[in-house]
Amino acid sequence: MNPFFERDIRLTRRQFFGKAASGVGMLALGSLLSQEGFAADLQHLGQKGAHGLPGLPHFPPKAKRVVVLWQGGAPSQVDLFDHKPGLTAHRLEELPASLRAGTRLSTMTSSQGKYPILPAIKPFKQYGKSGMWMSEMLPHIGGIADDICLVRSMNTDAVNHAPGVTFFLTGSQIPGRPSMGAWAAYGLGSMTDELPAFVVMTSADEKKTCGQLFFDYYWGSGFIPSMYQGVQFRSEGDPVLYLTNPPGMSSDLRRGVLKDIEELDQQRFAQYGDPEIETRISQYELAFKMQTSVPELTDISKEPESVLSMYGPDVKKKGTYAHNCLLARRLLERGVRFVQLMHSGWDQHGNLDTQLALQCRDTDQPSAALVQDLKQRGLLDDTVVLWCGEFGRTVFAQGDVSKPNAHGRDHFGACYSLWVAGGGFKPGTVHGETDDFSYKIVKDPVGVHDMQATILRQLGIDHERLTYRYQGRDFRLTDVSGQVVKGIVSDF
Amino acid sequence: MRCGKTLAGVFAVIPFGLLVAQPQHPATVDFDNDIRPIFVAHCAKCHMGDQKQGGLSLETGAAVLKGGESGPAAIPGNADKSVLLRRILGLDAQPRMPMGFGPLSEHDTSQIREWIAQGAKAKSAGKRIHWAYVPPVRPKLPKVSQPAWVHNSIDAFVLSRLDREHLHPSPPADRTTLIRRVTLDLTGLPPSTSEVRAFLADNSSNAYDKVVDRLLASPHFGEKMALPWLDAARYADSNGFQQDGDTFQYVWRDWVVRAFNANMPFDQFTIQQLAGDLLPTQGLSRSEIQDRQIATAFNRNHMLNGEGGAIPEEQRNVGLFDRVDTTSTTWLGLTMTCARCHDHKYDPLTQKDYYSLLAFFNNVPETGAPTDTFGSYYLAKPWVMVGTDAQMDELQKFEASVAAAKSKDEKAAAEKKLNDAKALLPKVMVMSDAQPRSAHIYSRGNYEAPLSPVSPSTPDSLPKMKPEWPKNRLGLAKWIMSPENPLTARVQVNRFWQALFGHGLVKSPENFGVQCETPVYPDLLDWLAVEFRDSGWNVKHLLKLIVTSSVYRQSSVLDRKMAVIDPSNRFLSREGRFRMPSPILRDVALTTSGLIDLKMGGKPVYPYQPKAIWDGLNITDERDFSYPQSSGSDLYRRSLYTFWRRTVGPGDMFDASSRQVCTVRMPQTSTPLHALTMLNDVVWVEAGRGLAQRVMKASASSSQRLKSAFELVCARTPNSQELKVLERMLSRSLSSFRADPSAATAYLRQGELHQDPKLNGVELAAYGTVCQAIYNLDEAMTHE
Repeated sequence: MNPFFERDIRLTRRQFFGKAASGVGMLALGSLLSQEGFAADLQHLGQKGAHGLPGLPHFPPKAKRVVVLWQGGAPSQVDLFDHKPGLTAHRLEELPASLRAGTRLSTMTSSQGKYPILPAIKPFKQYGKSGMWMSEMLPHIGGIADDICLVRSMNTDAVNHAPGVTFFLTGSQIPGRPSMGAWAAYGLGSMTDELPAFVVMTSADEKKTCGQLFFDYYWGSGFIPSMYQGVQFRSEGDPVLYLTNPPGMSSDLRRGVLKDIEELDQQRFAQYGDPEIETRISQYELAFKMQTSVPELTDISKEPESVLSMYGPDVKKKGTYAHNCLLARRLLERGVRFVQLMHSGWDQHGNLDTQLALQCRDTDQPSAALVQDLKQRGLLDDTVVLWCGEFGRTVFAQGDVSKPNAHGRDHFGACYSLWVAGGGFKPGTVHGETDDFSYKIVKDPVGVHDMQATILRQLGIDHERLTYRYQGRDFRLTDVSGQVVKGIVSDF
Repeated sequence: MRCGKTLAGVFAVIPFGLLVAQPQHPATVDFDNDIRPIFVAHCAKCHMGDQKQGGLSLETGAAVLKGGESGPAAIPGNADKSVLLRRILGLDAQPRMPMGFGPLSEHDTSQIREWIAQGAKAKSAGKRIHWAYVPPVRPKLPKVSQPAWVHNSIDAFVLSRLDREHLHPSPPADRTTLIRRVTLDLTGLPPSTSEVRAFLADNSSNAYDKVVDRLLASPHFGEKMALPWLDAARYADSNGFQQDGDTFQYVWRDWVVRAFNANMPFDQFTIQQLAGDLLPTQGLSRSEIQDRQIATAFNRNHMLNGEGGAIPEEQRNVGLFDRVDTTSTTWLGLTMTCARCHDHKYDPLTQKDYYSLLAFFNNVPETGAPTDTFGSYYLAKPWVMVGTDAQMDELQKFEASVAAAKSKDEKAAAEKKLNDAKALLPKVMVMSDAQPRSAHIYSRGNYEAPLSPVSPSTPDSLPKMKPEWPKNRLGLAKWIMSPENPLTARVQVNRFWQALFGHGLVKSPENFGVQCETPVYPDLLDWLAVEFRDSGWNVKHLLKLIVTSSVYRQSSVLDRKMAVIDPSNRFLSREGRFRMPSPILRDVALTTSGLIDLKMGGKPVYPYQPKAIWDGLNITDERDFSYPQSSGSDLYRRSLYTFWRRTVGPGDMFDASSRQVCTVRMPQTSTPLHALTMLNDVVWVEAGRGLAQRVMKASASSSQRLKSAFELVCARTPNSQELKVLERMLSRSLSSFRADPSAATAYLRQGELHQDPKLNGVELAAYGTVCQAIYNLDEAMTHE
């Protein structure tokens, strides 16, 4: 902490408020920034420690951090995770109409007329000591099979991308609710005073075939104060908006100018007594610190070759999923609470033959590398790694199955797969089961709110008790449902 | 809540006996006003409404006395033996209530203790009526200690309460602070130096009134008033979601600005926006009719999902929900959303009420998808083409010549003319009732699970619609504006108050329901509401009353006593001190630097944004999402006119509404990201340079230059100590840029503003640095 700032802030505060308020200078980014105009929260500002809400965590946490590896566009569980060897015998046969009845489909196929069964396009194999069945298209994730918990019985109400992503990340299909990371930052606060509590990065498949856009409400704070929203780190320009001094403004001059600004603000504070002035001074100080800490974070030149090679050939290329995975590890080890990587590329309606392999190439190795990298640093035990998309894909084909690269699979919410690693999730296990057609869940269904409740639980949060009152109602991430899924965590 | 929990944590370790010695609560504790809200906040889940865990309901005082399986919950006069209190304290080896939650605060516990001790009386045996559901009547003015301080009725209410709290009003703000405050509040622009000096020199008794009148008459008044209205109306220039097609809704934005400037009575303002298309058109000119259609764009400003595969009927219903929610929040301060899936837990709003309200908006000839495309514009029907009389005449002429065309070639030529003319005109999405549909209650809000049909109707628990009003949006609008409606006037005056003081008289402008905090000044709220209504919904009259009150004219200095008794200024013992909204901060920088272009209205513009601001959207090749930055004076238009992409808002507009859903209260936060914006964004770098050029050209003396720059931004001259710091900053900057003149050149190259060749580059960069720092002073960004 910059000594002159700290000293002056302490001095003034002591003169004015005695010992009543303290710790304002300790405030860090993201979760702990004061709310202007709501002086009732001043008492909250006085709270020391991790700067989360008093009383949280509700119980001893299993995990401190979360990284979401968002697979936007919806990966096909049929081709990657949900092993259905029996389908091969029914290739291109019509999916029984009785099975389809009552299932929500998107308008792209709800009136398609024909529903030919398309088995997984590549064989599956067993991985690890646990013998987990996954596609041979995922050799690296296969390599960490004994570290992951594969859930084959996810289901969601949504059949379209934006509502589906919004549902998984905010608990509601309609935009406007706080996202999971915002809730975590709000409840638990930050573990670093040099970086935001909640960081987001985006990437896309090289040819941008997927068409999925990333809206800021996927990491928004909804109606809770905007300081809890995810801060987007960008691959082009400044990693954080406006991070760099304007051209010609040296760091020394900037520091001097900030000192002068602070002196003028202190004079104002002496006259007006508004504690918001002190907060502002501390925020300017933190801004200056971020100008050092963020470039240090995004500079991967000192990473050893052995680590870089784990993440695969794209790792040095900014804006790729692999690069973001490495940055995610660097963020997590520096105390960032919640990292959300948004990758787009899985929406394979008509190009399954070619695009699925490309997406596996983009994401398989880096995803596995992140888990291994965290593990070898001892961070996996208390970091939740969640790999998932907004829904799954239909077992039947969409488009023209007679031609190569002219067909794919449509959106499908009734069942899909995801995996979780670390943070107390049960390694080397498979949870839930679908029918022979990967169409209906037959065992241990897991809803989106259930998964959210379970992740919060690993963070030491009772999902029913982390609430925010807005419009007279206590809102929570899991809306009005959600049950902790006991079968996927180790301590039950 | 947080503080409550903290206190409760302390309380939990105090031995039981000590609690008895708590100082007595002097006032009479009333079940409805004091106790029931505690139960609603902490116990409702299990013991209110339908819930009677252990047979116990806490709904009414009588129900508490009746108790549950453990017998009566309260024994009048004997708190220590009452089960209610013993369970709250976790005695008798039973789980502490509320089970699974933090213990009740010390205050709440002692209130319950006191209520039982006083006999556990429940004045109203049944349900009481929440204050906000009773139409306001003009309250009597209270007696006060210093009648001379009372400039208008507002002051009497505040002073009488301050008297009771043993607080004094703050001294009046000095005149410089006052003119800066009121100018920013009413126009969103800073006063010019000459305006400040003229006011300081005007010794007439109505000097301030003259300033207020001038500001209310300024065309920039409408622009300032429009900003929060646009947030409520979730106005943006694109649809949101995939494709995120652009829209022409800016035509409606300009309607709002014009309406505020013309001081359109608020009832007209409301009726036209909700139902302008249903008003009689007899005797109206074509442009007047067109204007009324444009007004209804209010309810077409919601997001539209054009995603491939999206189920249009589902999206249409999402839009309907948004109309219900936005209309209820904006005009009624009701949280109707809760009733979408079930009857409201706290307020007397049923699921049937929700869908009866939805039925008003259900007859729009729309599919739910924005399928009409014009280049990058994606519109959903219905929309209207908007033009001047001359343009519309021309269209008619072209249409006639198409019809009259004799040959194929002639027809093609005429059609081209027609289409070219049409292409130039904006197309605004508006309301229409041309497609009547039946509405149903949806089981748990699921449009695929309709239950019984409903007809258009207002909530049952509120005053009824008059039989002579049509059962459509026009009737709804009339009902909203009727004098019997208990909410509309209160909700509006509260939001105007919020804009001027930093928070409303009711802290939650989005919720006036049972769960909202009881206002500190219910009488003042009611007085203002009645005054607003009885003035013929005269917005300028209301604002003038408020800004000429002594309450508004107080200083915002926080003294020690206030810091203890009234830290959050709920008693209004001073004027609110708060950071101005980011659009205004930018406008202030543009104005004081002389860069601003005050042209009003029209197509949105694209001022500077960081490289790749829309990067996240650019991952599709469906359309081009590169940022089409404006050049020339369009870079310097007021922030109101900045293109607002719904999926990614402008990078430098921090703490702004996302413009995705209705927002009537913006959190004001302070984060390092804001500091980085104002320190490094080209907007403020260039403005600093513009301000530097301005003061350097005006004077050759360095101290005079620094003084002027400070005065232009903060309205006052710096004191000698402040000037010393500014001078130090200047010499610091000068020596830095002298040591590296190329740095000065690079610094001056930011933004399009031409560098005055007569000015020395190193000096200009140094002054520019100081001027930019002035924008970053707490005072510069604060409503004092």
